[in-house]
Amino acid sequence: MKNLNLDASRWTLVNNLIVGLISLYGIASHNYQVTEISVFQKLMIEILAPLQRGTLSLKESVAYTVDHYVTIVNTSKKNEELKKEVNALQGEIFSLKEVRRENERLKQLLEFGKAIARKKVLAQIVSWDSSNEFKVLRINKGESHGLKLMSPVITTTGLVGYIYRLGANYSDILTILDQNNRVDSLVVRTRTHGIVEGESGFTCHMKYVNRTEKLEIDDVVITAGLGEIYPKGIKVGTITHIDKENFGITQKVEVRPSVDFHKLEEVVVLVDDGRQKKLMSEELPKVEETAKNEEEQ
Amino acid sequence: MRISLQDIILGSLKTILLLIFVEVFSSAVLPALGILDFKPAFNVLIILYLAFKFEAPALPFLIFLFQYVHSVFSIEGWATGTLAGILVSLSVKYVKDMLNFSTAISTIIVVQIFQIAWFIIVAIILSLKLGDFSYFFGIFIKYLPESVFISLVSHLFFKLLDRIWKLEGQSSGVAY
Repeated sequence: MKNLNLDASRWTLVNNLIVGLISLYGIASHNYQVTEISVFQKLMIEILAPLQRGTLSLKESVAYTVDHYVTIVNTSKKNEELKKEVNALQGEIFSLKEVRRENERLKQLLEFGKAIARKKVLAQIVSWDSSNEFKVLRINKGESHGLKLMSPVITTTGLVGYIYRLGANYSDILTILDQNNRVDSLVVRTRTHGIVEGESGFTCHMKYVNRTEKLEIDDVVITAGLGEIYPKGIKVGTITHIDKENFGITQKVEVRPSVDFHKLEEVVVLVDDGRQKKLMSEELPKVEETAKNEEEQ
Repeated sequence: MRISLQDIILGSLKTILLLIFVEVFSSAVLPALGILDFKPAFNVLIILYLAFKFEAPALPFLIFLFQYVHSVFSIEGWATGTLAGILVSLSVKYVKDMLNFSTAISTIIVVQIFQIAWFIIVAIILSLKLGDFSYFFGIFIKYLPESVFISLVSHLFFKLLDRIWKLEGQSSGVAY
């Protein structure tokens, strides 16, 4: 028994070493900016993402049932049928209103990116990353819908992030709230350049801004178009806090994203189909002008 | 207690199903309820359970397996958690005789202590990867509320895992 235990502890040590070294290699080669996924992971995502999507449908059904049926349990029998009918009609109106609201949102989304010469793919949010330190969204569109890795993702209110991980029918977006996402940005009023990075929580900060730059609260920050991920002129957010320390050559700038991530339901993925290189030079001034007008308003 | 290979495979499959269930809960159910800033790391709890109660050469591979399943739901990937799990399981080995899971309070305290060790390792790895240690305390502080929740449910969760791994009433299981 003693020998057996010795063997077992030796094997444990060897296995720990093997898996530990593989993990170290995995950590060294893992890229938090963009990643290719293995066939097994792709398969797992395809199988499990519908489960995550189903949860959202279930929530809507439960909310509908609670709102429209549970509340009439105590009504008299005489009025039951009439109330049910009214409820059914109200439910229908509610559904139609919801469809109308969704249509309006989708229409706005499609109208919004007109100036940006890229193919636009509408997608719905399915779930969030299960770890709190990563701000990643899963959407119901993937490679089969024409999406590509590192395609920028936007909404009518501004920049969401880019495609980090691509599956056949689902993809993950690394949002601008994540500390691994860095957006080359500029302040519209002063044309000051900086890098917007995610912070813990739902705010970002703009790095490498020279302390001599005269920034103000509520200044609008847009994408600078450098780095070949985001097109120029997409609204990133507004400055909410400026901290000029007594030392150093930069200032600390807090940016509140223009996208309300708590209410995010649909997004538009801008896919590079080769058109933008030709049209970018013509459209860029228009995009910038729109952002400037928005700020003035 | 000796655990057969069949029990390990069955236990792993059942644990994977449990892990998928809790990962869907964290990634889809909580956000659907509007809770975006609170996602308990149940994968950590499963690995801590195995580190505490499962004495077998296969343990590192099981840690890798469960972290790999976790990586489907998180861009954290499998590697960081696997390394943290191995380091924690090695440290558990040295203090195993002092650990006690007979009462809920003792389980909560032990789980909380080792969760802190886990999160320090993960925060160091992430800070090294980002090349910026200014995130260290931010990452670490963010973990705390969830880790307290995880510790509070650990006693019940361990009972469930005891049933899955057939380790009820045993301090640990050994597989050859």
